Amino acid sequence: MELHTIKNKVKDVLTSILEHNNFEIHDELTAKDVDGWNSLSHMMIITKIEEEFNIKFKLRELNKLKNMGALVTLIQNKA
Amino acid sequence: MNLLVEIQKSIEEHRDMNAFYIEGTYHTYKDFAQVISDIRNVIRNTVANDEAVVGLITNNDIHTYASIIALWMEGKGYVPIHPDFPVSRNEVIIREAEVNAILDSSTDQVFKTHNTISTRILDTVQIDLIPVSVKAEDLGYIFFTSGTTGTPKGVPITFGNLEGFIEAFWALDYTLDSTDRCLQMFELTFDLSVFSYLAPILKGACIYTIPKEEIKYSYIFELMEDHKLTFMLMVPSILHYLRPYFDEIDCTSVRYSLFCGEALPLDVTEEWSSCIPNATIDNVYGPTECTIFCTDYTYRRNDSNKTHNGVLTIGKSMKNTITLIVDEDENEVANGESGELCLSGAQLTQGYWKNEEKNKEVFFNKEYKGKQTRFYRTGDLCSMDDEGDILYLGRIDFQAKIQGFRVEISEIEFETKAILSKTNAVAIAFKNAIHHTEIGLAIESLVFDTKELIESLKTKLPPYMIPTQVKFVDKFPLNTNGKTDRKKLKELF
Repeated sequence: MELHTIKNKVKDVLTSILEHNNFEIHDELTAKDVDGWNSLSHMMIITKIEEEFNIKFKLRELNKLKNMGALVTLIQNKA
Repeated sequence: MNLLVEIQKSIEEHRDMNAFYIEGTYHTYKDFAQVISDIRNVIRNTVANDEAVVGLITNNDIHTYASIIALWMEGKGYVPIHPDFPVSRNEVIIREAEVNAILDSSTDQVFKTHNTISTRILDTVQIDLIPVSVKAEDLGYIFFTSGTTGTPKGVPITFGNLEGFIEAFWALDYTLDSTDRCLQMFELTFDLSVFSYLAPILKGACIYTIPKEEIKYSYIFELMEDHKLTFMLMVPSILHYLRPYFDEIDCTSVRYSLFCGEALPLDVTEEWSSCIPNATIDNVYGPTECTIFCTDYTYRRNDSNKTHNGVLTIGKSMKNTITLIVDEDENEVANGESGELCLSGAQLTQGYWKNEEKNKEVFFNKEYKGKQTRFYRTGDLCSMDDEGDILYLGRIDFQAKIQGFRVEISEIEFETKAILSKTNAVAIAFKNAIHHTEIGLAIESLVFDTKELIESLKTKLPPYMIPTQVKFVDKFPLNTNGKTDRKKLKELF
């Protein structure tokens, strides 16, 4: 899947869970930069991404998701 | 038992063992003893003798843990202050507890206006772990929990309470020793943290903490796997997060897995037991008012377990606690009947900090086995079976548990109404799609943009109390008693 397709889908997921789109998707983006992206919503975001891309993350992989770039790369490798 | 002497002896005896693993770095008990001694020195030099409690900024570092022990060794208690909580709330706590000095290990001081004592860079002094003499009624800490009128309630816990707890805990026969590797997953503003550092320190075991920016549940898993954790107390929400990944978890090193702070469902516990095949799983229960926890139930593997609505029993009272289930007139109910769970014994707080009104409401005296005994009403609806095991049925009042934190729904409503003025609002705790409790807010009004409201709430309330969903209702439905029908409103979420 192409990177920009992945990014757009991730953006849709974030918008639907967080109920706002006050963020720009870029590689250095982290949860801290986005309103409402806390440990509670993180779980829901991860689950929704798994559904949307029909993939399943390993528990260990979740710790490596330090920023948007890492997330998008991981999705690309799995999808 | 003298708790402080026990701490001293254990630290001295285990000087070469690891005490902490924090952000990838080990600290031995000798390192710990040095930092404690250096902080004691600065406390002696800068804090007045008659200051019974000192504020503590809760960072995740050796200095913060050493500050607790240093204060105790000086016969003083601590009041944890979370640097990420709203300043206005922290200021209320500082004022209510009459805190003057604040220990802070941050590079940038959190409070510039108070007598802040930096614990980050200190003179190195001779190691000195000999505690001053303390009385059972001297304060070990005051923790503040959510209160109804916008002012958090202070729960003072004494060294006598802590000794009562530790003695009762060891009587449960946990064989913790200096080879154990123990999880400390709690914010230091949550009293389950006290257990998570104190029990390991008393046995010379190593404490593994969680860096603030990490996602807790996946970091816990890495600690379990990479560091072979043996002993862990967690809130059940962690299991809900980990559940989709249970098939990846096989940690044979775990010997004890304890749960506290929320209802523990049997089905998740059963699945979890396969992830930690060698562990004893315990469900413990207790409010902050009765020092950390005071009842215990050991889950039976491959056997039947007592439950109510799929929730495990909280078991029997520990050695130093008396449990009593009463009706509305404070009469003990028969086994099998439901009533409010009341607690008494060595672990029970002397009462809320400077809050006579609340004390009259929740503490009462009653003759128990021929003696006048002071009891605390937990607000928990329970029943006891013929074997003395207590079943948790739910809350009596409007408190909710969010991520293990006790939340007075009315405090959220109070702050919301204060911001909106003349607009009615009802906060509702509801279960979301992944069975987590979230806070919903129903507002009796036409639709408006709530961004400003939520931003204002964030300056008044800690993050776990901020509503995650808002709904607008033209007119709130009423129940047959003419009260706002909260059940109907709950259906909106």
